[in-house]
Amino acid sequence: MTVTADDNAPARAEPRRHRQTDDVHYLANRVMIYLLALTAVTVVGFPLFWMVISSFKPGSELYISPPTFLPNEWTLKNYRDLFVQTNFSVYFLNSLIVAASSTALSLVIGGLGAYSLSRFNFFGIGSFARVALLCYMLPEVLIVLPLYIYVIQLGLADTLVALIIANTAFTLPLALWFMRSYYNAIPMSLEESAMVDGCTRLGAMWRVTLPLAVPGLVSVGVFSFNHAWNEFLFALVFTSSESKKVLPLGLATWIGQDNIYSWGMLLAGAVLITLPVMAFYLLVQRKLVVGLSEGGAKGE
Amino acid sequence: MPDARTVQPGDRTLAYITLAPSVALLLLLSAVPTITVLATAMQDVGLGSLSGPWVGLDNFVWALNYDAFWRALWNTFYWVFGSVAVEMVLGLGIALLLHQNFAMRGIARAILLAPYLIPTIVAVLVWRYMFHDIVGILNYFLMNLGLIERPLQWLGSTRWAMVSVIIVGVWKFFPFVVLALLGILQSIPQEQYEAARIDGASAFQQFWRITLPYILPVFILTALLRTIWTFHKFEIIYLLTGGGPLDVTTTLPILVYQKGFVDFELGRAAAIAILTFVILAALIAVYFMLMRRAESKQ
Repeated sequence: MTVTADDNAPARAEPRRHRQTDDVHYLANRVMIYLLALTAVTVVGFPLFWMVISSFKPGSELYISPPTFLPNEWTLKNYRDLFVQTNFSVYFLNSLIVAASSTALSLVIGGLGAYSLSRFNFFGIGSFARVALLCYMLPEVLIVLPLYIYVIQLGLADTLVALIIANTAFTLPLALWFMRSYYNAIPMSLEESAMVDGCTRLGAMWRVTLPLAVPGLVSVGVFSFNHAWNEFLFALVFTSSESKKVLPLGLATWIGQDNIYSWGMLLAGAVLITLPVMAFYLLVQRKLVVGLSEGGAKGE
Repeated sequence: MPDARTVQPGDRTLAYITLAPSVALLLLLSAVPTITVLATAMQDVGLGSLSGPWVGLDNFVWALNYDAFWRALWNTFYWVFGSVAVEMVLGLGIALLLHQNFAMRGIARAILLAPYLIPTIVAVLVWRYMFHDIVGILNYFLMNLGLIERPLQWLGSTRWAMVSVIIVGVWKFFPFVVLALLGILQSIPQEQYEAARIDGASAFQQFWRITLPYILPVFILTALLRTIWTFHKFEIIYLLTGGGPLDVTTTLPILVYQKGFVDFELGRAAAIAILTFVILAALIAVYFMLMRRAESKQ
């Protein structure tokens, strides 16, 4: 089953009420809904609010009790410290390289492979689709051990290449499985008519099916990017030098210090890491598709 | 006349060319590593080396006699069932709420789903700041409400560490449940509710007799998927507590990491990883079975 995350999805239409008791009942119902919604939004949204607000507080306000809710003094010092005291821009660039490369790799390879998974059924192609889903479910912590051995043996320790390849182990199965079901939803009759008009299968795929599959590729791209942007274990095990650290690892080394002065800087970093993800999400929000029977959306 | 449904000449070539890179990569990145990890688990790998003499099942026997393994298994169950149970209840509640029509629903939805999209490191940073025993906002709230008298140590206390980790996990991952359930809620045929209302069924009866049975298969599938993912979650716990204090938040994935990359005993780490996967595989098998059943019903 496929669910679209769409704001305009039809909600339950409220039938018109006539009698007065119904009106009172209806009003009470409304008030309840708003109260619940307000509570939920406040509780769930608070940590994000707190992160953003605190990132603009000067050190003196970050470490006082009782805390100030809105900063008495707004400052960008935390953001400046982040760039001066840590290699934040290096981490950011590394994350960008790793996430973009593994996403591109799985979109091209997976996007093509999924077409054949969807359209052909000879030679056990169907069972390969299930194998892909199974690969997607292999725990990272199982795979990291052998990959570590290969990385050492191939001399890829402490390189971004190792991270790109390792991330692809998870983003590629996702792309294969997800895009297969996406192609499945594109009617074959479209390709047939193109082929009647003299296209080859390859031509029909290139000119007809692929353009229609773009929204699916966008969704997969977002999930892959998000996955690689988030990935921590491979980075922790495969890389160590400052110049090769990605964002989560780079910031994690600063938590380790847990000195009382770094919180403002870390929260500023947290805000900056979140921005690209949120921008991406807003960009494709309406096209985002969560396929549950497809193994679900992975954002972790 | 060409027919896209039958195999055309050239189709096989096309299939091979398009699939070959995927097959090769998955073989190299999933199948071969799985064999390697099995092989590693049967070797006595010394400190700092990558392989060693064959010892058969010794590492597995060692793991099964290793107290920390059983404690990690218990911690894993605590972490998984604690998280998934709360996520499912909360996710269902929020999904039902967002299924109602109300002003600014779009904004509420965006905020309620946001934790799922933010990177784990971000969730960890902000929660660690909020959990801080002296300047953390959480203790301030709870003390002002009179719920606690002295600041809690949260991540630092053996009593509250796992609860704290679960709080962060639930906050981060419950939106997945909301997304999944919102989709199925929107597909319930409205006529069923109309009919029930005419029969005078209360809102609760409508939920119990129509909504719940309809969404149940998806609910179960979602719970199982969350269970599988939560089971092998590593970074959120590692970054919050590192497995401590003592080993109260050391789940199986954390234990594998510690054995493999702190103690550098790859063979033993591999044995624990495989035992972990065996438990997980049972869950995955159930997931596939339920999924197939759900698909055949459609």
